[in-house]
Amino acid sequence: MSYVIKRIGYAILIMFLASLVTFAALRVAPGSAVTSILDPARTPPEVIERYKEELGLNLPIWQQYVNYMANVLRGNFGTSLFDRRPVFDLIADAALYTVVLAFAAFVLAFGLGVPAGVIAALNRGGWFDRVIRWVTSAFMSIPNFVLALLLVAILGVKLRFLPVSGASGPANLILPALVLAADPWSLTTRVTRTAVVEQLGADYTRTLRARGVSRTRINWRHVLRNALTPVVSLGSVQIRTLLGYTLIVEVIFRWPGMGSQLVQAILKRDYPVASALALLLALVVVIASTVGDLLLRAVDPRIRSNQAVIS
Amino acid sequence: MVTSLVIAPVDVPESRRHKKRIGGITIPTWIGVGLLALCALLGLVVLLAPAFRNLWTAQDLRATFLPPLSSGHPFGTDNLGRDLMWRTLAGLGVSVAVGLGVAFLAVTLGLMVGIVGGYFGRAADVTSNIVIDVTWAFPAILLAVVFAGWLGPGLLTVVLALALTEWAGFSRIIRGEVLSLRERDYVSAARVLGRNKVAISLRHFVPNLLPVTLVLAVYFVAGAIVAEAGLSFLGIGAQPPTPSLGSTLAQGRDYLTRTWWPVILAGGVLTLTVLLLNSVSDQLREHFDPRIGRRR
Repeated sequence: MSYVIKRIGYAILIMFLASLVTFAALRVAPGSAVTSILDPARTPPEVIERYKEELGLNLPIWQQYVNYMANVLRGNFGTSLFDRRPVFDLIADAALYTVVLAFAAFVLAFGLGVPAGVIAALNRGGWFDRVIRWVTSAFMSIPNFVLALLLVAILGVKLRFLPVSGASGPANLILPALVLAADPWSLTTRVTRTAVVEQLGADYTRTLRARGVSRTRINWRHVLRNALTPVVSLGSVQIRTLLGYTLIVEVIFRWPGMGSQLVQAILKRDYPVASALALLLALVVVIASTVGDLLLRAVDPRIRSNQAVIS
Repeated sequence: MVTSLVIAPVDVPESRRHKKRIGGITIPTWIGVGLLALCALLGLVVLLAPAFRNLWTAQDLRATFLPPLSSGHPFGTDNLGRDLMWRTLAGLGVSVAVGLGVAFLAVTLGLMVGIVGGYFGRAADVTSNIVIDVTWAFPAILLAVVFAGWLGPGLLTVVLALALTEWAGFSRIIRGEVLSLRERDYVSAARVLGRNKVAISLRHFVPNLLPVTLVLAVYFVAGAIVAEAGLSFLGIGAQPPTPSLGSTLAQGRDYLTRTWWPVILAGGVLTLTVLLLNSVSDQLREHFDPRIGRRR
């Protein structure tokens, strides 16, 4: 229990530091909030001064941070520099799309990856195993935006088979979810396969077999359970990978989620939106790795994390 | 009476004894040589691309969207009538140069932080872990933007942003390795002889970490090439005059209804390069640690 508290405390520390980083990035970036709204060459200095006063830019830096955090914790991320809407509303609109897309990809990656890995491992050297090895190699080498463009070219432009742009219906989800899932699926399949193969060759498996326990029972009760550990720890890493991939996949398929929103905000230098999204992404990654660590301990009691800093 | 010296028969695996040879060289060695030759070819592209500048910048607006195998343009031309073969080669050169830069920076930083975290006491370990976890929380594209703010968008921005995010995962692996290396007898011996920690790190840790470093460095080059193409595709990486596989892909997407050829070409070259580097990384891994390699 004390580990759980320590781990959560550590996550909060990391989030605090991450918020410092996003705050600093916002201040450091050239063109302060004021100069991106007003043209400094054509605005009288007193107007700029008044804006600065209004936005609290004349306060000492630590106080600006305190104000910023106080606002963030109340869910107030400021307003977009471009369409003047509250950042919170903008992100709330986009978040749903990203959650749906990332969840679909996550389900595809694990729902198809774990069984594929297990079947390949149980039939090691068989045709299924070989096919899986080739397919995963291919998916791991082809960058996902290249895969996306190929699918768009073939299914969308040539065959007009599936919608390739926008989010007007459920069919729009198919291509982006498949592209997003390709790489995590390959990795999940491989890690699962390796883990199961390792457990199949373990001494305890042979002992159980020698004592007359049936293969099915060994596989279900022992091998799969023990092979779960690396798969679970992979899961929390995959969340970060998926979020990174959504940036580019959402742009290609013009999926109106947080990824394409972040890219837009960055290209337009809409700093309030960009920094809020960055903070949110960091929060998701930190939560994912915390939950992953806690799950790992629940699944595998042997982990007393003698290598982890907090034990 | 003479006692005969009995040598116990060494258990050589079947596969080791009868390896097929072509020209006296085993097949895995041939594969290794082939992969190295391809890598050397990549290096050549990097070095020579700037010299052929006028070939990949020449525009001809009368000859846009030429299909492959056109006269004078074996791979066709793009929307500005630039030769796609030269554009792709030059873009590949840029990508590989970026990949090498990222790998070098990330590996150097990761080695330093990993060794310090694993060997220089608890305070250093806690601090480095916090830095790693904070770094890990941000996607690379975000850092790319911060740097784009300072330095303007471009390849230097891409290299710094990718290196400053990618080192974290590598550093974690190095720390784990150092934790096991520090328990070795020769490290204790060096301690007893009065060596300080820096000397031990340089003398004992770095050489022993080289295999895993090399394997991961090659992997980083591949990852950075993909990331650079991705950032350039989004418009944050290479800026218009600079050739880049990512920008070629982005243009290709804009004209996808007209021709799919540039996308196939740039995407194919990108994929094959990544495939090459990944197999080099796998081969290196197998070479340094056959136990891991065989398990694949």
